[in-house]
Amino acid sequence: MNMLRLNGWGISALLVTLLSAASGPIHAQRGGRGGPPAPPAPRAASPIDLTGQWVSLITEEWRQRQFTGAKNDFGSLNVVLLPAARKIAAGWDPARDAAAGEQCKPYGAAGVMRLPTRVRLSWQDDTALRLETDAGTQTRLFKFGPPQGDGGDWQGVSTASWDYPQAALAGRGLGPAPGGSLKVITTKMKPGYLSRNGVPYSGNAVMTEYFDRFDVPGGDSLLVVSSEIVDPEFLATPYWTSQQFKRETDASRWRPTPCGAR
Amino acid sequence: MRSARGARGLLVAALAALGTTLAGQAPVIPGAPTGQAPAVDLSGYWTPALHEDLMERGPGAEIADYGGFPLNEAGRLWALSYDPSRVTLRHHQCEAYTAPYQMRALGNFRIWEERDEHTQRLVAIHLWAQTTEGHRVIWMDGRPHPPAWAPHTFRGFSTGRFVGNALVVNTTHMKNGALRRGNGVPESDQATLTEFFTRHGDHLTNVTVISDPVYLTEPMVRSSDFARQPVDPGAWLYACDDGEQILDRPDDAVPHYLFGKQPFVNEFSTRYKLPLAAGLLGAVTMYPELEARLTTATEAEGRALLSPAAGRAPETSKATDREPRDGEIHILPVRDNVYMLVGDGANIVVQTGDQGAFVVDTGEGKLADKVIAAIRSLTPKPIQFIANTSFRSEHTGGNARLGDAGQDPSLLGSFFVTAAPRGVTGFFNDPGAHATMMAHVNVQVRMQAAKAPAAAVPADTYLEDRRRKFHNDDAIEFFYQKDAVTDGDSLIHFRRADVIVAGDIFTTTQYPVIDPKNGGSVQGEIRALNEILNKTVYRHQGEGGTYVVPGHGYLADEHEVLEYRDMVVIVRDRVKAMIDGGATLAQVKAARVTADYDTQYGANTGPWTTEMFVTAVYDSLKNARR
Repeated sequence: MNMLRLNGWGISALLVTLLSAASGPIHAQRGGRGGPPAPPAPRAASPIDLTGQWVSLITEEWRQRQFTGAKNDFGSLNVVLLPAARKIAAGWDPARDAAAGEQCKPYGAAGVMRLPTRVRLSWQDDTALRLETDAGTQTRLFKFGPPQGDGGDWQGVSTASWDYPQAALAGRGLGPAPGGSLKVITTKMKPGYLSRNGVPYSGNAVMTEYFDRFDVPGGDSLLVVSSEIVDPEFLATPYWTSQQFKRETDASRWRPTPCGAR
Repeated sequence: MRSARGARGLLVAALAALGTTLAGQAPVIPGAPTGQAPAVDLSGYWTPALHEDLMERGPGAEIADYGGFPLNEAGRLWALSYDPSRVTLRHHQCEAYTAPYQMRALGNFRIWEERDEHTQRLVAIHLWAQTTEGHRVIWMDGRPHPPAWAPHTFRGFSTGRFVGNALVVNTTHMKNGALRRGNGVPESDQATLTEFFTRHGDHLTNVTVISDPVYLTEPMVRSSDFARQPVDPGAWLYACDDGEQILDRPDDAVPHYLFGKQPFVNEFSTRYKLPLAAGLLGAVTMYPELEARLTTATEAEGRALLSPAAGRAPETSKATDREPRDGEIHILPVRDNVYMLVGDGANIVVQTGDQGAFVVDTGEGKLADKVIAAIRSLTPKPIQFIANTSFRSEHTGGNARLGDAGQDPSLLGSFFVTAAPRGVTGFFNDPGAHATMMAHVNVQVRMQAAKAPAAAVPADTYLEDRRRKFHNDDAIEFFYQKDAVTDGDSLIHFRRADVIVAGDIFTTTQYPVIDPKNGGSVQGEIRALNEILNKTVYRHQGEGGTYVVPGHGYLADEHEVLEYRDMVVIVRDRVKAMIDGGATLAQVKAARVTADYDTQYGANTGPWTTEMFVTAVYDSLKNARR
């Protein structure tokens, strides 16, 4: 190779040039003496602001989401349901649920985000985001860090993190990616309904959600939640949907209602 | 000294470190193109999840199921008038999908990047949809969107930029089409689209925000999910060729339902035990307030939503003004050596070549000097021929000035040129001093009757159905339309360039200016529009191919003519049905028979109002019975 025919001074000069070009930013990333600084708290590290009041825009699967469907009317869920789910849905009895005090089955974490509702997102503290719904008056808590809690209630245990595109070999050739999303993994939910007419999910369901905020030219802001629900007991494949919400400034539209009011 | 092997190792390490650093901060190269470094890589094969709206996106939605769409009255009525069998019409059979509809289609997608060969900057992101071979190009190099008079395509013109972790795409210049499959929910050619593409692992989410001032009261937001495929799923073609599906159907028959006569309107509400109004209420159907709203909904309210609201003035066009109105003449290359000039009334067409310029229509004449300058920027040759599609002043206003500025050298040295004056020979007394002006004889008759200056009146006229001329290496044909908007209209077809100049028979901006007093009729207008459709050939999936220059508005192809033809037929049918029922003109006007088109074409003031159009349709139908 011609390059290796450089004399010793030439190689040295090239290496010095290259390494000096590389060393500046790398050094800067280390934070100076005393090792790396403590990472900022999740709230301070937010790449996007999700807080505020958002109203759902029911523009897809409209009939099934705006109204309680008839028994066995599954809509697009048809393509993912296993026979076990169909069997349970066929026995759906809302009166029986109410009598058993389980009228909140459609308002669990895996169902409530697809209902016609408003949501409010706020920081409970520096490490946890709170999501409230006025439909069913539910509260989801997205805690950053390791999973916390035993779950077993409608909203289960939600673990949050800020999500950035990652290289397969971290640190090789990728700088920090711009933007970011809120990633929430929810487990240990009390079994509930994916839709109000009794399509079930199990206590072993795992829901992964990505919350993105988009600012539309003209002023509207959108919150889009892309979700995946994995439930081998009832679903043949992961169930993928995305829900959109529009930012609202009129707080008077917030009308908490109990489960089963619709 | 270090060994060569040791030097190589150090060099590799240094380059790796350098790569780590530089990749995180795109180098700024002064003067380089502005293509952004991708914040998200969308490349690959993608399959729609179809876990939402599966039935609506596959077999199609049910009639009167318009819930979740913020339709205004025009959009709702357009949908209720729609008959799905309209797609049996030849020209509708292979239509592609508009960009937002394409993103909801079944079938796989393929996305790839296009980079500049030399700079490796991102030029465009391409998206190919299996259904309808939908090829979208998202320009990433900072180029501007075309002007308002540029052609529309089903996928429109898209530009993109990276914001945070999303690709944000802005699309304009889409054709009109469906917003939903099979049940008539419309999207107009005025719609614009903002999209957000995000990727989380192998989960791609596409959010579409559609703004349509013609049919929507507020933006329509939908999101679609796609799963990445590790290998090429193949089968990327979508063959379509149109043909006869219903034989012996008259060519002025367009399947549709009269207002209030949609026979299947109750099926949806009955099947799902919903109030009739549930799917017809527009924007409120998207929100949690729908349930409360429906508690007051009555059957009568639902019935009332099936027809135009009574007692209201017609809506007016919400369309973008297609005229530049900046006092300048704008040149739009059409194809080969044919150009469209915009800015001085009706559109002007110029064909150039070895011979002199062949000009179709001359505009209002207010900017004639600038029109002449624009033509001279296209060719050093003189304006040799001027053809008029109509006698109207918007098309002939520049005749005298452009004629004087031109010359027809084919006459010089001709056998017919003599020294004797025209009065003696009957030939030319000023050969070569002017452009030769051509039109149907009725243009000449009408202009002379209006006492137009002699220098503005076409002298080279034709009487029958067709005139032909070979000029600038192209065959040019004139087709007389005897009773379209007037009795002097011509379609002019540049056959090799495959460009049809339609004059006022077709515009994208207003209802046709049918003038029964000057020989126009709605039946003749429909025949003329069908004559255009008989000559057009689309390039691919119902678009491209033959260009059609409208009298006013943007450069079109057969799709726009088709939709315009459908509109005229549908309005004619509504007026005819009312006349058959004994309605007076006042009753026809009060019925708002154009309610689903007024937000596109309507006007309540100016030279051509909705009322004038409805009156013209009524009068021409009445005249036909006399």
